[in-house]
Amino acid sequence: MSTAEFYSVDRQQLAQATTLDGQGLKTLVEAALTWLKTNQQTVNALNVFPVPDGDTGTNMLLTLQAAYNEVANSGERNVGKMAHAIAQGALMGARGNSGVILSQIWRGFARGLDSLDVMDAAIMVRALIESRNTAYKGVVRPVEGTILTVIKDVSIAAEQALAETQDLNLLLEQIVQAADVSVKHTPELLPILKQAGVVDSGGKGLFFIFEGMLRYLKDQPLETATTTVMPLAAMQLEETMEAVEAGQDFEVVVDFRPNEPLNLESFYAELSEMGTSIQVGEGDGFYRMHIHVPTENRYLPIDYTMKIGAVTKVAIENLRAQMDDLQHAESTPHLQLTHVEPGQIAVVAVSPGMGISQIFASLGINAVVEGGQTMNPSTEQILGAFENLPTDQVIILPNNKNIVLAAQAAASMTVKKVAVIPSKSVPQGLSAMLRLNPEGDFDEVVAEMNEAITEVESGEITVATRSIEINGVSVKEGEVIALLNGQLIAAQPDLEKACLALLEKANTADRERITFFYGQNIGRAEVNRIVDIIRTAYPTHEIELHEGGQPHYQFILSIE
Amino acid sequence: MSEPTNPFGTIFISKRAITTIAAQSALESYGVVGLAAKNLADSLAQALVKDPALGVTVHYDGGQVQIDLYLIIEYGLRVTTVANSVIESVRYHIEKATGLVVKQVNVHVRGLRISNPD
Repeated sequence: MSTAEFYSVDRQQLAQATTLDGQGLKTLVEAALTWLKTNQQTVNALNVFPVPDGDTGTNMLLTLQAAYNEVANSGERNVGKMAHAIAQGALMGARGNSGVILSQIWRGFARGLDSLDVMDAAIMVRALIESRNTAYKGVVRPVEGTILTVIKDVSIAAEQALAETQDLNLLLEQIVQAADVSVKHTPELLPILKQAGVVDSGGKGLFFIFEGMLRYLKDQPLETATTTVMPLAAMQLEETMEAVEAGQDFEVVVDFRPNEPLNLESFYAELSEMGTSIQVGEGDGFYRMHIHVPTENRYLPIDYTMKIGAVTKVAIENLRAQMDDLQHAESTPHLQLTHVEPGQIAVVAVSPGMGISQIFASLGINAVVEGGQTMNPSTEQILGAFENLPTDQVIILPNNKNIVLAAQAAASMTVKKVAVIPSKSVPQGLSAMLRLNPEGDFDEVVAEMNEAITEVESGEITVATRSIEINGVSVKEGEVIALLNGQLIAAQPDLEKACLALLEKANTADRERITFFYGQNIGRAEVNRIVDIIRTAYPTHEIELHEGGQPHYQFILSIE
Repeated sequence: MSEPTNPFGTIFISKRAITTIAAQSALESYGVVGLAAKNLADSLAQALVKDPALGVTVHYDGGQVQIDLYLIIEYGLRVTTVANSVIESVRYHIEKATGLVVKQVNVHVRGLRISNPD
């Protein structure tokens, strides 16, 4: 054969063959690749860890794509050599944990075939066993309930099937069935999957690879995903919508018990005539169907399901109206953040409440991150707040002792010039903001702001959640406690006594102004009453009052 | 020692505890077949006393954790991909378990184990 004249495989011939050569294997890999691509998002949706294995579906797809690319133009007929080339491609293109394991499965498979010209059923089983052995050698502590378990179960099932059949098609059918059972069993082996109500994503990816090969041999379509019934917990019905697209005016969710075993293919086909975003879930003997439909079709899915079973619950929501509400709600408490110009110094502040955010905004901050004592923002959130600002000089005001570290971590993860002013409280952050000169020299501004935070005392008033004794102060649950610069200094039966005790300990003689920021958990009348008491007690001081909107703390005080 | 504080007290998390988390999650990562001593002295010590901290060093300063892992990886795998998975997994497990910020995870591949020569 000349190199240009590639061997093309006839599907029917392949489906009837008792042995498979290199080109046959290549064709099956191409089918697997197509089918995995079709089901990529289904696999991605199964992820439970937010970090370790990003998008399993995508990773496996890219790995298999690299494997196929290696042989796409190859006319190799020797099945062993073909498998080795595929394994090599998978190795080079391995992405993510699942991709690495997939490459190892291919490596074992290739070793099992050695350099044989063709493979029959017995050799294929041998190769699968080698796949399993090789895959398990790559890890000291194999975690069961993953792709590893699936390849193990598949190899065992294949070995058993060999006793009954020498036919490659029938063998592959057994393999796909075993993979399906194994994948469904993964939540029993790995508790985190059960908690999340999903099956293992890598295992599911491997299942699609085998199933793709089988579907090709059976001449079933590979480009359109079949409906898969997922466990109810895995249905993503509350995903937030960016925008309502045409024909998605209503969301209809119907729970029903089918009269006869549900024929998914025809059920799905009927539904896709009515609308989009179709999901079908199953649990406890009933099914849940979810669909987005245009206004005129909103009753069709219900009528249709009533015909095939007993409807137990119907929910219809007007998505368009919801979107309008959402947009309206977003626009109401809008923060007027200062726009930063390139070259200027931008400031990011962490704020525990809307009112405090407004005050920071009025002082000229450029981005705000929500967070405080009981809700520390992550490094990523802080990073995300300033990474897109059009300047490379950034100052971060953490405004809480527990957030300083996250802010410093964010600072170390960017190429921008970032300074963290270690403000441990909102008052410190505010007084630092008063020194900001966006056009000034970065180092000078940072020095000024660092100085400013030492010139203010911060007070916090909150209610003790449990009894404890610290700093020689004995606190009973439910008492009002006062913290001065983060230190517990008094416990009192009511708010005004706590405020007075706090100001007594603070160095008020040297200070001129006391600012109260009241929280979301205190009424305006109560605030006025207490501030009046303070005004009477400190007649020479300037007393200011602002809505802070912070949770948990009735008052945050700034004494400067 | 690490100290995320709350108003009522301080939490100390020892380096040893972090070391254990790092070693466990590294060993559960696919492709890692062992931890290795980082130098001769350590490997001699290991021969005498089995130390779970072998192959892991934890640096802690100012609230940020830096970890160095000395690993043996299975021959025939894409080393960089395995190393990246280990880094992500170790960082994830430590941050999830302790709430500390992991600044850096360095992987030193000390060797490859050949269990099946191709």
